[in-house]
Amino acid sequence: MNKKLNIGDPLMLAVVFGMITFGLVMIFSASSYTAGLQYGNVFYYVKRQLFTVAIGTIMMGLISRLDYHRILKYAWPLHGFSLLMLAAVFLIGTASHGQKRWIYIGPVGFQPSEFAKFILIIFLAAMCSAAEPLMKKWRGIILMFVCVMPAAAMVMATNLSTGVIILGLSFIIIFTASRKWVPFLALTGMGIAMMGVFLKLAAYRVDRIEAWLNVETHPKGYQTRQALFAIGSGGFFGCGYGKSIQKLAYVPEAHNDMIFSIICEEWGLFGAVIIIALFIVLIWRCAVTAMTARDLQGALLVIGVMAHIGLQMIINIAVVTNSIPNTGVPLPFISYGGTSLIFLMCEIGIIQNVARQGKGSIS
Amino acid sequence: MQIKIYHRRKMLMVAAFIVGIGLLLTGRLIYLMIFRSEYYQEQANALHERERSIKAARGIIYDRNGVVLADNQSVCTISVIHNQITDPEKVIAVLSEILSLDKETVRKRVEKLSSIERIKANVPKELGDQVRACQLDGVMIDEDYTRYYPYGSLASKVLGFTGGDNQGIIGLEVKYDRWLKGIEGAILTVTDARGVEVGHAAEDRVEPVPGSDLYTSLDYTLQCYVQQTAQKMIAQKEAKSVSIILMDPCSGEILAMTNEPEFDLNSPYTLSSDQRAENEQDALNRMWRNGCLNDTYEPGSTFKIITSTAALESGSVSLNDRFYCPGYKIVEDRRIRCHKIAGHGAESFVEGLMNSCNPVFIETGLRTGTEVMYQYFERLGLMEKSGIDLPGEAGSIMHQMEDVGEVELATISFGQSFQITPIQMLRAVSAVINGGNLVTPHLGVCLVSKNKQMKKLEYPYKKDVISQKVSDTMKMLLEKVVAEGTGKKCYIEGYRIGGKTATSQKLPRGSGKYIASFIGFAPADDPKIVGIVMIDEPAGAYYGGTVAAPVMREIFENILPYYLGKQPEIINETGEGNE
Repeated sequence: MNKKLNIGDPLMLAVVFGMITFGLVMIFSASSYTAGLQYGNVFYYVKRQLFTVAIGTIMMGLISRLDYHRILKYAWPLHGFSLLMLAAVFLIGTASHGQKRWIYIGPVGFQPSEFAKFILIIFLAAMCSAAEPLMKKWRGIILMFVCVMPAAAMVMATNLSTGVIILGLSFIIIFTASRKWVPFLALTGMGIAMMGVFLKLAAYRVDRIEAWLNVETHPKGYQTRQALFAIGSGGFFGCGYGKSIQKLAYVPEAHNDMIFSIICEEWGLFGAVIIIALFIVLIWRCAVTAMTARDLQGALLVIGVMAHIGLQMIINIAVVTNSIPNTGVPLPFISYGGTSLIFLMCEIGIIQNVARQGKGSIS
Repeated sequence: MQIKIYHRRKMLMVAAFIVGIGLLLTGRLIYLMIFRSEYYQEQANALHERERSIKAARGIIYDRNGVVLADNQSVCTISVIHNQITDPEKVIAVLSEILSLDKETVRKRVEKLSSIERIKANVPKELGDQVRACQLDGVMIDEDYTRYYPYGSLASKVLGFTGGDNQGIIGLEVKYDRWLKGIEGAILTVTDARGVEVGHAAEDRVEPVPGSDLYTSLDYTLQCYVQQTAQKMIAQKEAKSVSIILMDPCSGEILAMTNEPEFDLNSPYTLSSDQRAENEQDALNRMWRNGCLNDTYEPGSTFKIITSTAALESGSVSLNDRFYCPGYKIVEDRRIRCHKIAGHGAESFVEGLMNSCNPVFIETGLRTGTEVMYQYFERLGLMEKSGIDLPGEAGSIMHQMEDVGEVELATISFGQSFQITPIQMLRAVSAVINGGNLVTPHLGVCLVSKNKQMKKLEYPYKKDVISQKVSDTMKMLLEKVVAEGTGKKCYIEGYRIGGKTATSQKLPRGSGKYIASFIGFAPADDPKIVGIVMIDEPAGAYYGGTVAAPVMREIFENILPYYLGKQPEIINETGEGNE
């Protein structure tokens, strides 16, 4: 038992750090040109990201040593704090790309929505396992969704895609915790219907749909169009590291949400498939950890994290390949972005802790 | 809480769902990156590549003997790229010295923070080579061509010149622009989204295709001589302009064409001091205008050649018909004067032509009739443009046939009350004297592409518009005009010259402005060259016979030995030499 406590899941850690390292390499490639132009320092973004990685690693290390049961005990206060932060965004938030999503404390920017995702996983894992008997009933399921709603609604107001991810991972946690099937099928149907209504109501998002359908001509399709040019230019083996042309200020946010398109351009289908394969390995390790967890709380935490990583990966790649309308979601572990990476690493820390306490094999 | 079986099942489902969608997206990537790769690659390249054009060398224009009339000159554009300069002081020193520019000017440009800064354009190639030999970092030398006309104002209105984009503006440069200009090449460079060129991408180069060379029928020697003569006449007679055209009457090839004053093709936008006008563009257009074909005039007595031809062909008169000239002729209610107020008295048709007697031709015209006259105008190409390969040719201004009454017919008969261009007149006369074939006057003979493919230029040619017999008669008559009649100032011993004089009143009549002209050809029995001399508004004497005929003689005297390749045949028969 003691021996196990130290190992955690080394394969998962290797994959995570592999992706983070590759991410740094790609952030340098994708951002050096624009960073040079903008800040006169080609390492501008890489340096900042390195700093984030350092903080993230420390936090991950700390959390992985902290018994997750102790964290779960603070689920309610944490959730309350998260809600406060989300509310604060409306009051003291700073706009970026036309949406209020950031809180600045001095020079350090912080996205409460990223924090909310992280806390929600903890909150739901705690709630669902505590109310496990209730989860067999409609009432319990509905109650859980009601608990999620305030956070989801507040995020949704400014950031549709993160809102969708919050709903998605909540759905997955509750679905996993419950014995029932029907309510989830019904909810899926309802969700699809509601999505339709929502899109109809918010005009600028309908614009996005237009851009999605006519990506080559619509003025708002610029970013996706440029991403497609980059992806298409990649071919089998890509044009080689550092040789992307689309990163020369053609693809906006090349080091951020659009980094996958530059990976495709420089490393080709070969590189893209390897990245997706790494994600699949990560998902697989999560699934194994969840199934071998010591208890349901741990399993639900892992499933929540898995859903988080999986959904973001899917939405990000779907956006750059123009499979869904454009929305800004970073690619986990690879895209540039402080808040997102730090909380993802915290989540990995929790999984590591679950893995350490796990049974090693499915009983 | 214990993990139950259904928990595990659902966990697996979630994982499988995520992996499944991941695989679907992989499929989408395969589609985009393999099957659509070419399409996106093309689009991306079109977006990234910027074309810098490379000028094609323009075709050279030659005269009939291979003398270069329009050439290309290699010039350089010298620029500096600020962030590639390693030794700015040296760059400033070298550039200011070689290009003889002010040091401060160069310094300003070298130190200016811009991606590329032009120091000087149109630098002669030798200087550009000198700069290149210094191997300075950050100094760029782009080679380029400009049009260069070795003889400045020689045949300026015929050759024309080109504009900044290597395009013809007037003259042959416009007419043959399509062939002369060639196809521009391109250097494709990769740029970033702001359009700034990126260093690491390889350049793609599409070589330019040089234009075809144009071989013209102009003869450099004749053109030179004709232009000198015209300049001399302008000086002597204070004329407004002098036009001279020399043409091969059998082929329509133009040997020389001038409309002095000409202008310097190497600086076509420079107006001479007296031309400076309020509207500069109008003044330039006037300066570039080629009076030989862009303007019309009343031909006057030279047109009697046409009237005679129509009358003789239709049989309305014969050579020995007798006429009487009292100094005027009354047509309907008009009294039309002869230039000899006292009248020529009794004369034959032949004498009438030799005297250029108006009443004789009024009578001839009236006898021939409007319909027949117009039929011959048609045949001799006077109702259409000559078809010369120069831009902007004017058309004739003629009475509608149904509006021609006796008075109009009378005036048409001696070349008044309508207007044609000099080139139309020369074309009609050529048909009369070359045995009856209507040629198209032209300058372009053939085009030769850089890979030596020759394209011969073809022109319309109408055979037998008048009979050989009347043509022979007309040649004989016109030789008499020069030998014994009004054209005798063009008589050259040893050559057989034919010709006809004209003195056209300029409109409005009574303004005292005249055009003195003469059409001559040689040898009279087998014409090899036909020419027209027009002196616009000469001061003093203005009769064609006194002013224009001597000019034609001077030209013929000097060029015939060269052109016909034989010296005059002066036959000294006994007793007749000392007349």
